[in-house]
Amino acid sequence: MLNLKEAKCIQLMHTYMKVCIFSSCIVDLLYPDVGKAMVELLHRFGCETVFPEKQICCGQPTYNSGYDKETIATFKNQLDALLSIDADYIVGPTGSCVAMLHEYKDILKDDPEYAKKAQVLYDKSFELTQFIYRVLGILDCGAELDDTATFHRSCHMTRLLGERTAPLVLLEHVKGLNLIPLHNIQLCCGFGGTFSAKEPLLSEAMVDDKANNVLKTKAHILIGCEQTCLMNIGGRINRRKEGQHIKIMHIAEVLNHNVDTSRITYVKDTDHVMVPANGNGVF
Amino acid sequence: MGIATSDKPFLDRVKEAEADKFMRASVAKAQDAQFTKRTEARRQLGNWEGWRDLSAQIRQHVIKHLPDYLEEFSENVQKNGGHIFFAKDGDEASAFIKQLAIKKKAKNVVKSKSMVTTEIGLDKELLTIPGLSLMETDLAEFILQEDDWDEPTHIVFPTLHKNRNQIQKVFEKIGYKGDNVPEHMAKFVRHYLRNYFMKTDFGITGCNFAIANNGMINLVTNEGNADITMAIPKTQVVVMGMERIVPSLKEAETLDNVLCRSAVGQKLTSYCSFSKGKEADEADGPDDFYVVVVDNGRWQMLNTDFEPMLQCIRCGSCLNVCPVYRQVGGKGYGSIYPGPMGAVLSPILGGYKEFQDLPYACSLCDACTETCPVKIPLQQLIRKHRYVEMDKLHLDHSMTNTMLKAVGKGTASPLLFNDAMRFAHVALEPFGKKTTPEDIKNLYPEGKINHLPAVAPKLAHGWVDVRDLAVPPKYHQNFRHWYHHYAEEEEHNND
Amino acid sequence: MTDYLKEANNPQNQEDFLNRIAAAADRPRHTLKDDPLVPVNDLPETTLAGKTQDELLTIAKKNSENVHVNFQVVKAADLGITLNNFIAEKEVKSLMLPSFDEQKWNDYSLGKWQESLQLDPIYYWEPSQGRQNIVNANASDAAIGFADFLLAESGTITIATYPQQGRMFHFLPTHYLAIIPKSKILPRSRQAMDYYQKAIQEGSLKTSNINFITGPSNSGDIEMVLIVGVHGPLDMEYVVVEDM
Repeated sequence: MLNLKEAKCIQLMHTYMKVCIFSSCIVDLLYPDVGKAMVELLHRFGCETVFPEKQICCGQPTYNSGYDKETIATFKNQLDALLSIDADYIVGPTGSCVAMLHEYKDILKDDPEYAKKAQVLYDKSFELTQFIYRVLGILDCGAELDDTATFHRSCHMTRLLGERTAPLVLLEHVKGLNLIPLHNIQLCCGFGGTFSAKEPLLSEAMVDDKANNVLKTKAHILIGCEQTCLMNIGGRINRRKEGQHIKIMHIAEVLNHNVDTSRITYVKDTDHVMVPANGNGVF
Repeated sequence: MGIATSDKPFLDRVKEAEADKFMRASVAKAQDAQFTKRTEARRQLGNWEGWRDLSAQIRQHVIKHLPDYLEEFSENVQKNGGHIFFAKDGDEASAFIKQLAIKKKAKNVVKSKSMVTTEIGLDKELLTIPGLSLMETDLAEFILQEDDWDEPTHIVFPTLHKNRNQIQKVFEKIGYKGDNVPEHMAKFVRHYLRNYFMKTDFGITGCNFAIANNGMINLVTNEGNADITMAIPKTQVVVMGMERIVPSLKEAETLDNVLCRSAVGQKLTSYCSFSKGKEADEADGPDDFYVVVVDNGRWQMLNTDFEPMLQCIRCGSCLNVCPVYRQVGGKGYGSIYPGPMGAVLSPILGGYKEFQDLPYACSLCDACTETCPVKIPLQQLIRKHRYVEMDKLHLDHSMTNTMLKAVGKGTASPLLFNDAMRFAHVALEPFGKKTTPEDIKNLYPEGKINHLPAVAPKLAHGWVDVRDLAVPPKYHQNFRHWYHHYAEEEEHNND
Repeated sequence: MTDYLKEANNPQNQEDFLNRIAAAADRPRHTLKDDPLVPVNDLPETTLAGKTQDELLTIAKKNSENVHVNFQVVKAADLGITLNNFIAEKEVKSLMLPSFDEQKWNDYSLGKWQESLQLDPIYYWEPSQGRQNIVNANASDAAIGFADFLLAESGTITIATYPQQGRMFHFLPTHYLAIIPKSKILPRSRQAMDYYQKAIQEGSLKTSNINFITGPSNSGDIEMVLIVGVHGPLDMEYVVVEDM
């Protein structure tokens, strides 16, 4: 899924780019700091950013609940908004919502007006770490964070977007960061969008498992690429009053932490060095 | 009940399942063990994605030409001297087998594990015949039978919900006097069932794959009970779902390889057999060989979004990776087909009315799609069921439905969304509490919401009853305000 | 009540069923001849291909032992001793053997060995004895039989059912030993399947049953604890004959 896009990206390394910010509704409504960190990161790497005001939401809340027809207007609004300013790339701090944007081209394939636009959206849109690593070709963001952390790998970014390695490559290069492996990293945290609210019993059992595994690492920071998963896991740990020692950080905030620009490092020979998006796992 | 294993409401089943600590621990242990074994078995095979492509292609090709392959298979079964009956539904299939058992004066029937016979409720039908006794010979199915026909909770490990002590109790009822060591209990069963096998006259098996070009049946087991079931009795009946067919032995070979690795993490199970009615000069094997091809609602998948579900080879690996199955096991689903494959199959075979909750018992994590050896897009099909239920059948008339429709409008209108951003803080702030040093450091800068009044909508309770919610930022402190300010400053700096 | 038994092998029953699903699929029947299956890859053939017989033997040994098989490699001259050791070790009193002709036994240098056996009873699987063979197999402490192939990848022996060596020969005796010439070690299940498919199609093999057996019978049905020996043999030995 990502291979064609990767190939194209490599040629664009180090060149000037205009990036359209896809903030996602969760950042707009609840977590401004994630959006801020992302914008600061992109500016530091020499991107010009634009922000189309009419963007709202990728449409997952209703689409994934079965309201396909009701969601078409949401898709079209989002598509029109994100393409309303001509930019080289569209970048968002969420693998799940970007994967949804990618799906538009299948959903709207029979729509004479939108089919082509949806393809353009697919070609241009990237999750943040994927963009930094695979498009900008950056290995080391220059960040420093002297602490222990564990990483929650979100399902949609891994399986629907097909990106399981970019965030880990970038985190490995954060100075001072000690990453502790998370047991059963492949299991869903129980967020699942409206699932978490519609099926609280199931979701609770799932997030409890995840919380237990996170707490077992004794890490001070829980890092993820998906603020929604983080607010689920963090919210549950907080409810259980077991999180005094824990800080929740979106990966954008980690990569934007205590940056020394002189340490920013680019991939040298992209063809050989870059780790494949889907990793080596078979699960 | 059909494929249903319970008449309790979904929520009750979930609550019961979650209260069953042994069951949950044992499912988790099984999932973790299979994770290691399956991953390793696939890694050793090499190029797993290539094997999936080939397997999916075989299954899709067969489904596309299903009538042709069934016709070819039927011709060969008959050429071999066998009999084949095509059953529209479970009732026809059961009635046929019952009439056959009566005609053959069957006394001691043996069965090897088969999901489709469970689906059509065959055992109970046969047991209405006076003087007929019936024995499930797969160890797990035997345990279920002796436990007053308890229902299976996994399609490959049917007794995953039972521990050794419970099993010991079951066996004590039929004369077992030993301890709870699995090997000792298995020895007892071996002896018990061997005696029964030696006097059996009528065998019933399922079918992993039917071989179109030679009329053989492929069965895959670890215990060997299927082989005995199709060697000793003079009459053998094979019951197969109509989609379980492959062109030739070669495709069966390919699929057995992905099936065994996916189901139990073995390269091949102890026994993979290909058989038909006995040849004249052979001493064992069935004299009379019958095949019952069962539709039972499968036709409804043809030519629809759900057609890929017919590719399923019942390996159960989607159950073994499912985070929801991990929590509620098979009983939570209330269907003999649980887990992701069950969430797709049950509403089709058993009806949306009975199984409308199952497609929602899923966080759409996609682990099932990723593991499926024949590349069924399970997650997409589960979502498709939601679409059928909401947009087509309008099964939800609750407040949740109204709210989600409102969300649909809100996420399509920049004006409405702007209002949401404008009023989010003001609306939710009254429910918020100040954070304390006990709270996670940076998740609740504006305070947390950990309690809602009873009148709040169910959806909001669903979230807040389980986890703390952040109070949204004040309007002028939200991301968009910050961005504009930041962008202006940057522009200014660049000038 | 409908007499369903009359419907078996009834063309009408079949045609009604097939037409109904063809209509549901909205696809015409009899399209297969113009759209045969052309596999997207040749992984079944190429996986583990190109190994020498010695390499295959090494792989087969490792994988057989992984599935709890006692694996031995012997010279034809020592085969009789190996079998006697097996009989002694398992304390075999009743033994089951196939009734293949003299030629086959001599091929394995076992003509004399057979005559030298001091066991009673020795059951031969004889087609003329019909189902009594099943009773004999059930009464046997062990069976010593001949496998068609050994699959290196999975440690699997493959055996077609022959009049002289029936289905239950391999299942009912308590202990089991299979003899395989080294030349019959194949990379994996595909090569064995190619042989059976061709032999059946050509008519050179007439059999009702092919078994792929990978180690002794087992089960994980009780708390997923591996139990070896459930319905079939409790243990299993493969003896590979090097020089045949």
